[in-house]
Amino acid sequence: MSDVRQTVYVVEDDEAVRDSLELLLKSAQHPVKSYSTANAFLDDYSDAMAGCMVLDIRMPGMDGMELQKRLNDRNSLLPIIFVTGHGDVPMAVEAMKEGAVDFIQKPYHEEALLEKIAAALATDREQRESLSQKQDIIRRINTLTPRETEIMDRMIAGQANKVIAIELDISQRTVEIHRSRVMHKMGTHSLAHLVRMVLSVKDLIDGK
Amino acid sequence: MTELGNTQYDATVLLVDDNPHNLKVLYETLKDRGYHLLVANDGEKALGLAERHQPEVILLDIMMPEMDGYEVCERLKANPATADGAVVFLSALDDVEAKVKGFSLGGADYIAKPFQPQEVIARVKTHARVVRLERELQARNRQLEGDQARILDTITQGIYGLDAEGAIVFANPAAASIIGCELPELVGQNFFAFHFGLTELAGLPVLETCQQGIAVHERGIEMMRQDRSLFPAEVQATPKREGDQLLGAVVMFRDISQELDSERALEEARTTVQEQRDQLAHVSRLLTMGEMAAGFAHEVNQPLTAISNYVRVALRLIAADPIDRELVSETLGKIEAQSHRASEVIRRIRGFVKKPATGKEDVDLAALLEETRQFAEVDARNNDGGIDIHITGELPAVAADPVQVQQVALNLIRNALEATREANTKAPVEVRAVLQDERTVRIEVLDRGIGLPEDAEQQLFLPFYTTKKEGMGIGLPLCQSLIKAQGGDIGFERRPEGGTCFYFTLPVAPAA
Repeated sequence: MSDVRQTVYVVEDDEAVRDSLELLLKSAQHPVKSYSTANAFLDDYSDAMAGCMVLDIRMPGMDGMELQKRLNDRNSLLPIIFVTGHGDVPMAVEAMKEGAVDFIQKPYHEEALLEKIAAALATDREQRESLSQKQDIIRRINTLTPRETEIMDRMIAGQANKVIAIELDISQRTVEIHRSRVMHKMGTHSLAHLVRMVLSVKDLIDGK
Repeated sequence: MTELGNTQYDATVLLVDDNPHNLKVLYETLKDRGYHLLVANDGEKALGLAERHQPEVILLDIMMPEMDGYEVCERLKANPATADGAVVFLSALDDVEAKVKGFSLGGADYIAKPFQPQEVIARVKTHARVVRLERELQARNRQLEGDQARILDTITQGIYGLDAEGAIVFANPAAASIIGCELPELVGQNFFAFHFGLTELAGLPVLETCQQGIAVHERGIEMMRQDRSLFPAEVQATPKREGDQLLGAVVMFRDISQELDSERALEEARTTVQEQRDQLAHVSRLLTMGEMAAGFAHEVNQPLTAISNYVRVALRLIAADPIDRELVSETLGKIEAQSHRASEVIRRIRGFVKKPATGKEDVDLAALLEETRQFAEVDARNNDGGIDIHITGELPAVAADPVQVQQVALNLIRNALEATREANTKAPVEVRAVLQDERTVRIEVLDRGIGLPEDAEQQLFLPFYTTKKEGMGIGLPLCQSLIKAQGGDIGFERRPEGGTCFYFTLPVAPAA
């Protein structure tokens, strides 16, 4: 999925800062989309957005922290770089705890900003790739029949075929057939790999 | 007849004749007519009775043995105690010479013998009334003079009566004590020469009162004492006239050196208070700036951030080939605009923090409030509602110190923003200005915030009273002091719909 076009989303209430930042990022060959309020961004937001956000922490109306919360509620993966002013460091720390990737103080050096943006875009790319892998795993899990799912859960729990057959009151042969179907559908030959795959999406499945 | 009884009579009449028959007739004629009648049959007795009883009327026979009527009359007139009685001569002598002699000796009238009772009664009545009236008049005069003298003696102001040339014809004891000499030494001196040591009189204030009849009242005139030392005086001169004629002037004066000292001390104290208020105001502005420092840093950082971004953009633009000159120029223009923006913030801070030029000027309130609003918005970044200004109609200029008025407005607006934040409301802070009456402009700062505590009415303007965690309780008392110094008023009202309205008034500047 690395062919997704990454955009830098700028949310900044100050017109001059927004305009100059937009020009700067464009001149550094970044696709940019900028918004003057948090609400404008939220209205535009979709899961499909890839890239990162440069978000002013203090804004009239909804501020940057509030926007971050709303995006977290919507499971946004967009990495956020907070732009803070002098004396906003406690807020920035709070924002980092809430999952922001970084923050930068105004006025900033271009190099520092561009570095942070590059890092954020890399994070986004990784997250997106890992997410697409996970989504693939979930898709595979969703193709299993209920019986196959039950067998897989017991496999992951470490139960031997014999134990599974006794407990489910079916023949060992039947267990073996189900087991081979599970491995096939999940696209792996190794039980260890299967365990890792399922565990990696465990929170996503449980959350549903 | 007792002395006490005397008071019940209209008048006392003394009858003097050596002839008992005549006396009897006179007595019979005048008795029971309300007179106290005294009788003497010779001059000596008459003088004795007159001295004792001071009769209003003396009917006096001229031809008497030993002392005749003329001599009795002469001696009556010579004695102040009896001089005012009306002497009516009685005589058979009917010649003009006798009458003339009688009048020349002070006689008031003449009755010829043999007399007619009606004539005696009429003349006695007339003369008794005249003498009585004269006596009453004199008594009143004496009383008035006494009162006047007592008043003049007790008055602490110096009083002079001057003639038209400025000679002192009268002085009261206070005048002598102020001048440092004895009362008799003053009378006869020339007011101008004595107190101003001048031979050239032109320009002296009391002069025009003496010469042109113009009343004057001047304070702080330097007058000379007898020892030629000077003292500051308040001098009030009123022309003294009789009919159309100007007789001179009455001058009242007092030594006001102590008064001037007190005034000077008061003025110094007032100046000190003013200076301290200005200093406190200045310190308070610095404190406010301190509280707003983060906000100002933000205000300056915004344009600086934009400038630094634009500069990088410009650098890339000029590194490109070909160079897009138009875009470079546009970017440079933006840089310039942002640098102006930053310097505007600095200018505003400097304007607020600088010590104000003492004294009022004509202030355009609408512009001042707009500038204050921009200033306060540094704090309002965390208020969703912001600050709205409503100016009703055309506001005239007010006479005030603009820096201090801005300080008060900023203080009230920041309080309102804080109350609004604490109430978590999005309602804007409103600033209203309206011409309250032709001489007063009223400025209101309204919020829909958390409102004031119950004891605000008693406490809010007291120093060191505060409702804020970090407050020092200086803001509002200082605002009050500053507004009162501008001749305005300050106060607050609880809004029925919630929140608070603070207001202050300022005097309209006098028309140029």
